[in-house]
Amino acid sequence: MKKTTFRDWASRLAVFAAAVSLWELFLSHSQNFLLPTFSHTAIALFNLVFQEPRFWEALYISNQALLVGYAASVVIGIPMGLLAGRVHNMDRILNPYLGVLLVMPVAPLIPVVIIALGLGLASRVFIVMLFAIVFITINTRAGVRGVEPALIEMAQSFGASEAQIWRRIIVPGALPAIFAGLRIGLGRAITGMVMVELLLVASGLGRLLLEFSGRMQSDFVFATLLAVIIEALVLLSIMQALERKVASWAPDISVG
Amino acid sequence: MIRVKALSKEFGTVDNGNAAVLALSDIDFEVRDNEFVTVIGPSGCGKTTLLRIIAGLIPYQQGEVSIDSRPVTGPGPERAVVFQNFALMPWADVLGNVTFGLEVRGVAKGESEGRARELIKVVGLEGFERRLPKELSGGMQQRVGLARALAVNPQILLMDEPFGALDEQTRRLLQEQLLQLWERERKTVVFITHSMEEAVMLGDRVMLMTPRPGKVKEMIDVPLNRPRSRDVEKSPAFIEIKEYLWENLRAMQAAQP
Amino acid sequence: MRSMPAAETATKTAAPKTSLLPGALRRWLTGYGLEVVALIAGALVWEGFGWMLGLQWLPPFSRVLEAFVQFIQSGAILSNLQSSLTGLLLGFALSVVLGLSLGALMGRYRAVERAFDIYVHALFVCPSILFAPIFFAIFGLSDASRIAIIVVYSTFVIVINTATAIRTVDPSLVEMACSFGCRERQIFTRILLPASLPLVFAGLRLGMGRAVKGMINGEMLIAFVGLGALAQRYGAQFDAAKVFAIAMVVLIIGLVSNAIVQALENRLTRWAG
Repeated sequence: MKKTTFRDWASRLAVFAAAVSLWELFLSHSQNFLLPTFSHTAIALFNLVFQEPRFWEALYISNQALLVGYAASVVIGIPMGLLAGRVHNMDRILNPYLGVLLVMPVAPLIPVVIIALGLGLASRVFIVMLFAIVFITINTRAGVRGVEPALIEMAQSFGASEAQIWRRIIVPGALPAIFAGLRIGLGRAITGMVMVELLLVASGLGRLLLEFSGRMQSDFVFATLLAVIIEALVLLSIMQALERKVASWAPDISVG
Repeated sequence: MIRVKALSKEFGTVDNGNAAVLALSDIDFEVRDNEFVTVIGPSGCGKTTLLRIIAGLIPYQQGEVSIDSRPVTGPGPERAVVFQNFALMPWADVLGNVTFGLEVRGVAKGESEGRARELIKVVGLEGFERRLPKELSGGMQQRVGLARALAVNPQILLMDEPFGALDEQTRRLLQEQLLQLWERERKTVVFITHSMEEAVMLGDRVMLMTPRPGKVKEMIDVPLNRPRSRDVEKSPAFIEIKEYLWENLRAMQAAQP
Repeated sequence: MRSMPAAETATKTAAPKTSLLPGALRRWLTGYGLEVVALIAGALVWEGFGWMLGLQWLPPFSRVLEAFVQFIQSGAILSNLQSSLTGLLLGFALSVVLGLSLGALMGRYRAVERAFDIYVHALFVCPSILFAPIFFAIFGLSDASRIAIIVVYSTFVIVINTATAIRTVDPSLVEMACSFGCRERQIFTRILLPASLPLVFAGLRLGMGRAVKGMINGEMLIAFVGLGALAQRYGAQFDAAKVFAIAMVVLIIGLVSNAIVQALENRLTRWAG
């Protein structure tokens, strides 16, 4: 058993090494002086994280939008999903809208949001919320609808009230799907944050990126991007771990 | 005592404009206190519907259904249901599942857990309190369902083909266990089954139903001695009743398209 | 005697409306009617608020429709639409080729799976838009950037679904083929490929949806051609109606492309459950 895990990691490392060598190879043959080597990027990343307070400042500003926007989408999206899952007519009314929002990309609407809310935190928060909310609602709804009707009937047979059925059967039963929705929604929220940062370069990481590219410091540009990628992966891994804990008993019915 | 008089149940289908389906028609019978009645009939005869009406899970418009002269308008503390597919909460352990009915009725945690542990022992699952349903076999899961129903100390047990989802060997063991439990505390039981052996083995009386729309064709007495053991299956009375049931059921099936 | 258990579950049919409505209307209402009414109601509310509030960012729905129709009539968006769609098709085609190949290899050979799985998974969960600036740095303001973004958006969901599809093919089918003396290639083309088709198509459908998102997100960022550029331009002009109309166009692209893949899927997997 131990041997296989060693072999796994060896092959993964090999893939990584191959990718890095390809990168270096590509660089040495290209005319593009804007591209940093892997080692330069790594050094720049180190600098950013440990020696550049502006990086953390920018990270903080950008993540504000992420936090508030994501929180908003959770606070609005979960109750909507619960309602849609439980009340059949509510579900049918919301359904066409959810279907449309699922397929429609939010990005083209960003200019409209900017017209409405300006270039400040409000726009950024709203855009992040828009990106995340549909998936949270849909997965919550799927979770509620996925609760076995037999369980609800069983609870009724013991005389449970509507509130008790909600607290003891529907919410615990829907929790895995809700968490799947939270995880997918988080990914979407991060996408929203990045879109916002790159389109409205007024503050935060977007501004930092603009500065670095303006000064032709491509290694720092790449390092910043890498940092955000790492942040995204860390946040999502945490979410996944949470999800696995909550949903150890359930099969996967997630949407998205 | 359960009293059903002139009960009819219709299911309307609104979205395709077809005529409503008459599931039960003019059902009339009584179940005496502490009596074990098994209900058998061809598929679709409405026996599950009947049980759920008595349990108070679905409404009815025509007829009377009463428990000790009080009309049935919903679920109540004197009745508990055991479900065919166990209806266990997959996220709760055995103890959590068994205490469910008690907790819903507001019993304090300590007391409900104590009672639950007692019943877990009675159904032979001592030591499994912390296990999740997915770690249990079908037979064990149904025993949890049984423990949960018994925990709320109902007068009446309503059992909807409780052993239908189990393999034959497990089924036979659980039948015997159920009989033993019932000997200790003779609750009123309405037990739905599609097995003739089971119907005769367990019941004081067997209610034979007709195909849809379900009516009560006959109430058959089972004059076998209690406590019942597996040997009773070889007795002539048992075989006779079983054959009688089969003759009727076969005729009813044949008459259907 | 009516009894009333707690609220019905969402799976039960809706309670019948009042018997005053004629049967046909009632049937339609409980069929698709409620959804259609909800959409129309939404459009009317939008229209109403648009006129009443007179906000710059909320034009009445009719204005949006007007802009949309104008697009079609005047052909103003035609060249942009063409760029967008060409990019979409090329990008999607590329991700299908990459996705199916890597997915098939990962599905069939455990060693390949173990080597690549964490990267595929990371790239799948990571918001793909993060790679846009990277591609911009590499390819500059060119079609290659846009196409690369679409590829990143779309490939990994295809890889994962294809790998799962091939891995979960009933092993007894493979065993049967071996017993008749099939060689590796034959097993692949005669057993694995057809058996995995349903799940592979699920991946392709999801990939198509992602490709459309990649198309528009990429174009918004690297906004020199395509519908994304138009959306940015109209936004700068504060013309909200046109922006909404562009969103509608993208929505239609998404729905149509999804329908096409679905139709293909239905035809090729008629035998599946």
